[in-house]
Amino acid sequence: MRKLFKFLTPPPQWKLPVLVSLGIFVGLGFYVLYLSKAASYLSDDPKTCVNCHVMAPQYATYQHSSHREVATCNDCHVPHNNVFNKYFFKAKDGLRHATMFALRMEPEVIFILEEGREVVHNNCIRCHSQTLTDPKLATQVPQHTHNTQGRVCWDCHREVPHGRVNSLSSVPNARVPVPSSPIPDWLQEYMEESKLENE
Amino acid sequence: MKPIQESVGKKPMLGWIIFLATLVVVFLLGLLASSIMERRAESVFAYTPQVEYNQWEPRNEVWGENFPREFESYYNTADTSFNSKYNGNAMIDMLEVDPRLVVLWAGYGFAKDYNQGRGHYYAVDDLRNTLRTGGPTSDKDGPMPSTCWTCKSPDVPRLMNEIGVAEYYSGKWSSKGHEVVNPIGCADCHDAETMNLKVTRPYLIEAFERMGKDINDATHQEMRSLVCAQCHVEYYFNKNRVKGSAFVQLPWDKGMGVEEMEEYYDELEFKDWTHKLSKAPMLKAQHPGYEVYLKGIHADRGVSCADCHMPYKSEGGQKFTDHHIQSPLNNVANSCQVCHREETEKLIKNVYQRQDQIIENRDKLEELLVRAHVEAKKAWDLGATEKEMKPILMMIRHAQWRWDYAAASHGGSFHAPTETGRIITTGVDRAQEARIALVRIFHKYGFDGEVAYPDIATKAKAQKFIGLDMDKLNKEKETFKKNLLPEWDKKAEKREKTYKVKM
Repeated sequence: MRKLFKFLTPPPQWKLPVLVSLGIFVGLGFYVLYLSKAASYLSDDPKTCVNCHVMAPQYATYQHSSHREVATCNDCHVPHNNVFNKYFFKAKDGLRHATMFALRMEPEVIFILEEGREVVHNNCIRCHSQTLTDPKLATQVPQHTHNTQGRVCWDCHREVPHGRVNSLSSVPNARVPVPSSPIPDWLQEYMEESKLENE
Repeated sequence: MKPIQESVGKKPMLGWIIFLATLVVVFLLGLLASSIMERRAESVFAYTPQVEYNQWEPRNEVWGENFPREFESYYNTADTSFNSKYNGNAMIDMLEVDPRLVVLWAGYGFAKDYNQGRGHYYAVDDLRNTLRTGGPTSDKDGPMPSTCWTCKSPDVPRLMNEIGVAEYYSGKWSSKGHEVVNPIGCADCHDAETMNLKVTRPYLIEAFERMGKDINDATHQEMRSLVCAQCHVEYYFNKNRVKGSAFVQLPWDKGMGVEEMEEYYDELEFKDWTHKLSKAPMLKAQHPGYEVYLKGIHADRGVSCADCHMPYKSEGGQKFTDHHIQSPLNNVANSCQVCHREETEKLIKNVYQRQDQIIENRDKLEELLVRAHVEAKKAWDLGATEKEMKPILMMIRHAQWRWDYAAASHGGSFHAPTETGRIITTGVDRAQEARIALVRIFHKYGFDGEVAYPDIATKAKAQKFIGLDMDKLNKEKETFKKNLLPEWDKKAEKREKTYKVKM
């Protein structure tokens, strides 16, 4: 360990340039974190999901649904069986989304992947297990058991919660809380003032 | 580690490799940063208007160029074909349906003419047509102040901005007739630059301030009700702020319930008018829709006005807020059924049941109030003194305030059925207390008969009973429509030609 450390330590005459260049890298790294609002991804706030405006249709439709009052995006779209799985899945999904977004690979209509389907379906059951295991329903509703097995909930409940219209251009005028300008207020004000002076 | 200088000295190639590797890493990091920046900027430019106008553009047609779907659905409020059991969007002459109202409002404009309103599209037309605004012959006469325009048009924020708020509130209703011509619309609720929801009426902001709240802290979901609360609230005209101006003010300082507002008015010794028969100092409750909704279960569950009255709509692969503001009973599938998985008929039945239950007692209270007013008049005729009558007149005032609060908060029997029921009950109590006190006065002055219930079977009979000269009023209105109205429209057209719009 010490050997490695010694090996990596630059000779005295190189200390300054190495520090400066390391500073540049770390600074750039922080800048990228700031720009991408990386810290917000730790929360469960639905606003985080519209950091990328690609998710605007999903956000807008959810905001107009009855689930708005009782669930956040993560309540349905990440697993809740244990905390490790939750954040692992979230990180995996998030990195895939970020990559596709950065490389402009998003399709015109976003479909959920098989893995995600399973997560969502299990989350339906997590809150609505009563409707699946209710003996009264099972005895009184014809085909109840058959209808609740071997398919996902939204095979029938097709409008829940996003409706069936979800292309990227389906909600052109939705008022969605997309991130505001990354330029801090004081700088914005200063820029406005100098603009007025120059006019 | 050997100094790199030595290694590079031996192999110059190594130096180049280090240089190039650094270059590539920094370049890629920079690319990532700028791609994030670009995609963030996209979200800002996602809405790029084709037509440029400013916040004070009052013409909905101009805004509509940028938002055809919202605009077209908004102008569906011109539709008057839907009737529910009690309301809907067709015009109903309420005085004809319920002539008792004429007696309750004796001495006040509402006894002349009161209709169940049509859609927002008709805001300006119906204000011009109603007999309550009279038949002015110039910009200096007529019964009403400029303030009556306040809720009718996006021309109002424009005017407030141009001539100042106090100046806008001054003068007669007819003095602003050529300025206010566009019906309620886009600029009343939206920010021209971002299209975010926006409060454009100063009195709502002031009312929040006086309650110690900041309206700017409201969430988007709250704003979806607050833009409606700019008009669908109880208000009064404050004539003491600036001499000669009637400012709109909301009586919420003590709270937003029916008793708190009553207390506020009593403390001010405010009255809207003196009743023609009973001489009671009356209050007119004006559509406290927002306040009553706040007392109901839907508000408690976080449902906003727009959720039911302007639900999401799908049209050709596009979703947008349906701006056809209307009764949810005409659009159950997109309003109620988003949360309530019940049959349409059943849901409508549930609403009607609440309305029936409320209206039964509301009508009873109306009858009691008519009797109270007529009996109070009899008491005056018998020679009762001011001192004897004062507490009784206060009771009548409070009873009718409660009746009006329940009746005028359109949809109140659905928005908050229990609260509306409670308000009517307290009204019945006060009306009967007043009548008991009146019997004591009758006894004192030696009258022991029953005061006859007036014959007010029709609107015409009721108006005759309170001594309104309807022929004169109708004639004045016709003259005004023939002479002044075309002038207003001409002036407005000329002015609007000068507005700058960039296509």
